[in-house]
Parts: sequence; C-alpha cells; structure tokens
Amino acid sequence: MPIIIISSDSYKTGREISKKIAEATGYDYVDREILDTVTKKFNFQEGQLIKALEETPSLFGLSGRLRNRLLACIEEATVEKLLKDNVVCHGLAAHLYVLDVSHVIKVRVLSDPDKLVSRLSSEAGGPADKIKISLKSNVKKHKRWSLDAFGLDETDPSNYDMVMNLSQIDLDEATKNIAGMTVYRKFQPITYSTNCLKNKNLASRARVVLMEQFPDVKVKADGSTIVVEAKIKKRSKQKIAGMIKKLAGGINGVDYVEVHAVSDFRSGKGDLNR
Amino acid sequence: MAIITISRGSYSNGKKVAEKVAERLGYKCISRDILLDASKRFQIPEVKLIRAIHDAPSILDRFKHGKYIFVAYIRSALASRAAGDNIVYHGLAGHFLLTGVPHVLKVRIIADMANRVESEMQRENISAGDARLLLEKDDHERRKWSKALYGVDPWKSSLYDLIIHIHKLTVSDAVDFICQAALKEQFKTTESGRQKMEDLALACQVKAALVDSFFDIRVTSEYGNVLIYTKDSYGQSSKLKKMLIKIESELKGINNLEVHVGVTIPQNAI
Repeated sequence: MPIIIISSDSYKTGREISKKIAEATGYDYVDREILDTVTKKFNFQEGQLIKALEETPSLFGLSGRLRNRLLACIEEATVEKLLKDNVVCHGLAAHLYVLDVSHVIKVRVLSDPDKLVSRLSSEAGGPADKIKISLKSNVKKHKRWSLDAFGLDETDPSNYDMVMNLSQIDLDEATKNIAGMTVYRKFQPITYSTNCLKNKNLASRARVVLMEQFPDVKVKADGSTIVVEAKIKKRSKQKIAGMIKKLAGGINGVDYVEVHAVSDFRSGKGDLNR
Repeated sequence: MAIITISRGSYSNGKKVAEKVAERLGYKCISRDILLDASKRFQIPEVKLIRAIHDAPSILDRFKHGKYIFVAYIRSALASRAAGDNIVYHGLAGHFLLTGVPHVLKVRIIADMANRVESEMQRENISAGDARLLLEKDDHERRKWSKALYGVDPWKSSLYDLIIHIHKLTVSDAVDFICQAALKEQFKTTESGRQKMEDLALACQVKAALVDSFFDIRVTSEYGNVLIYTKDSYGQSSKLKKMLIKIESELKGINNLEVHVGVTIPQNAI
C-alpha cells in the first residue's frame, strides 16, 4: 500500500491532519516521535535534531556540517520506517528527500491563516497582528531552509501531487480526499518503486556511517552496490578511497563499493546528489 | 452551485480538466468567450485583449495604462457571466478577477515540465531545448503579468483552494477532486454570496465605463450602493459628473451612486 507524506505551512495543522489520515486509513503514523530513537542511536540531543529540521546554519546556531549530519540521521531513521509501507509521515521533511518513489503520495496542506492566528493567540497569548507577521516570516524562513538543506523549495507546488488549502476546504473533507488517494492505481507499490525506496534506505544508512569521517560525502545505491562521491585530494585519493570502501563494505546489505573522487559537488536537486 | 476558476499553464491539461468538470456538473465552460464578450461590448479588437491578458505590461503600456483598461473590460465581462452562476472559467487570472466571492472554487492545474516540453515539441515541431525555452518564456510572461497588474505571484499556493499536479494524478482524478469539492456546502451559492457576486459585477461594470477616462478610479458596491473613489483632481470634474449621470441611467441595479474624494480606498475596491 502507498506511503503518505504530509507537508504543511504549520506543524500543528500538518500533525492534526496526518493523524486523522492515519486513523482513516489504518496506517502507522510517523512524526517527530522517532527523533527519540535517533537521539539514542547517535547520541545527539533532541533539541539539536529539531533545530536541524527548522533552522539554517548560522554563526550562533548549528554549523553547516553538523546540520547535514543531523539531517542524514533523521533521514535514515525516517526511510527505515517508510520501508514498512502503510505509513503516514509528517514533520520529518521526508517530502524533500524521498523523491522519485512512485508509491509515495505527497500532499501539502495550507492552514487557514485566520483560524491559525486565533488558535495561536488563544493558546499562547499575544496580539494577532504580531502572530500573523511571525507566521509569514516562518514560512519564508522554512522556504530558505528547504533550499539550503535539500536544494528544493518546499513551497513549490510542483514538488507535491496535490496542495490543499484549508481556508475553504474543511479538515475532514481534506482527510477524506487524501485517504481516498491511497486506492489510486498509480500510487500502488510496484517492484521498481519498492526497490527505489530500498536503495534510498541503503544509501542513507551508508551516508550516516561515512559522514562521521567524510562529512561532505554523497551516496547512491543500486541493489547491493553503492556509489560514493567524496571530495578527495589527488595525492590521498587511493588511501581515502580504501578507507571509504572498508567502512562502507562493512554495512549490512553492501556487496560492492565504488568511490568517485570529485573536486567539488555540483548543486542539484534532492536525493540524487545527497 | 458554484463558480469554478481553473488557472493553468500552457500544456498542463488544465483546459481538458475544465471541459470535463463543466460537462460532469452541467456547468458552462468559458474562456475565450469572455474576450469575445469584452471585445463586442467595448469595441476593442480581440487581439488587443489577448495581448493585454497574456503579455506583461511594458513601460510604454504602463504609461498609457492600456492594459489596466483592457483588464477592467475583461473583468467586467467575466463578472457579468459569473453572476449567472454555474460556470467553469479556465482563462487567465480568474482567481484575481473574482476576488471576494465566497462560492468561487479556485483551482490550479500544473504539469511536469518534461511532459509539457514533449507536447510543445510535438505541436510546434521544434527541439526539446527550444520547446523548454518557449514554455519558460510563457510562464515568465504570465507571472510578470500578474505581478505587474496585481502585485501577486500566480504561482503562490495560498491563492488557490486546490492545486493538482497532473503526473501521477490523472485528468480524470483531477476532475473527480474538483467536482467533489464544488458540490460541498462551502461552495454552494448562498444568498449573501449571490449578492456579493452581483455587487462585484456591478462594480466592474461601473469601473469599465469609467476606466478609459479615469484609469485609476476605484469602485465598490454593496447592495447596489456604488461608491467611487477618486483622487482630489477628479472629484469636481464635470466630465466625471456627466459620465456618472449616464451610468446611473444606463446600468441596472444601482440604488445609489456616490463619489468619495481623497479618502482611504478599501482593499476590496476594484
């Protein structure tokens, strides 16, 4: 059965609708609760992981390298969960790294700004005008974050199968529509799409292992073969390639490792270059 | 019953979706008809209107205000048609032209660039590179048009109730989604919605009648009470007074017509 990935301009709205979809479909619900597993497995703090999901690197915040490593760990844990199928996933930026998997339904849900402002104003207090301004700035900030972290604009509707605006369409209606998409033929898993997700899983596992020593590494997987791209100086090419092969060769499921030394990575979209 | 506006890029299958939605719901499907209406009513060649609604205003246009005038004509033609309800409009900028009406379901249909390039290559018999360039130029013009005239990017998701990506979702899936949404309570025409649509149509007609001589005049209407907002310099113009007398006698549905000079213009004024 398909996987549903929900993205939203508001974490609360996204969470609310994702839970409802999971209830309606009987699918598992995957959200930031899995960060707990990541913190235990990789010895990070949960606050750092949330920061990596929300903030761009800055002088007083996370460094670029640490942010990338944190995101890689989140990606690995998320893709592992998605492999099980029948999952509704939200809040882990999966719409930005699970690309080209045909049985993934990607939907962006836009909250009703007036309702959201009044809800936030009653929950947290403070003037509605200020909350409105802060929400607008959050959307801009998150767009910048998605471009910086994954080279994709998360506000661009072409990255989704559908965008729904809850200003006029109510939550239950949107839930029903999204849940209804799971029976569409084009979203059913096929051998190729399942293999794409398995490759994604292997690549993300390998990347997490390699990033400890080679922070700028990029990994692609095809079956049990992985192709690693790393910035390596000419004189140390052989030595580093050997180290990468040894490290990656020890990963469960990897039979063959190919190492490509590059002087600089070309910027590109999404997971192909990650 | 509802009014459905479908915004689309070239080769996005939006036209096909609009026609099928109209067929299934038994609505009228309109697009070029609006230009023909405007062309007849205001005696403007259709080609000028097409250019007005397609190409972004050039610096010279902005100086002559030509596009603003033509857009007012097109808006008036569309609002008059929409006041009759049960329409699917798939021309440019329906979501801008019918702002403030609650029972308008605003949809955008998008398609993958690769599929669009293929369609363009087949139709124009050109290379993939040329096709891509043409499509990018077309998209750019459409965005520039909206930004120049309304200050809003038409690619902004929040302008629409529903954006459907024709790729994994098919034309028929899109038709299903739109028809289901259109039949929901919130898109049914209520009495207040109908009144708003009639007021919008009336305000558009008044603006279209005045825009040639007073391009930056703004108009609102509430229950047939038409308010015209002008700059100080226009307020006492005898030409404006004469035109208003003519409008009041010719246009149906006006209860009262007032001119407001130099006051803050409400956001919903057109």
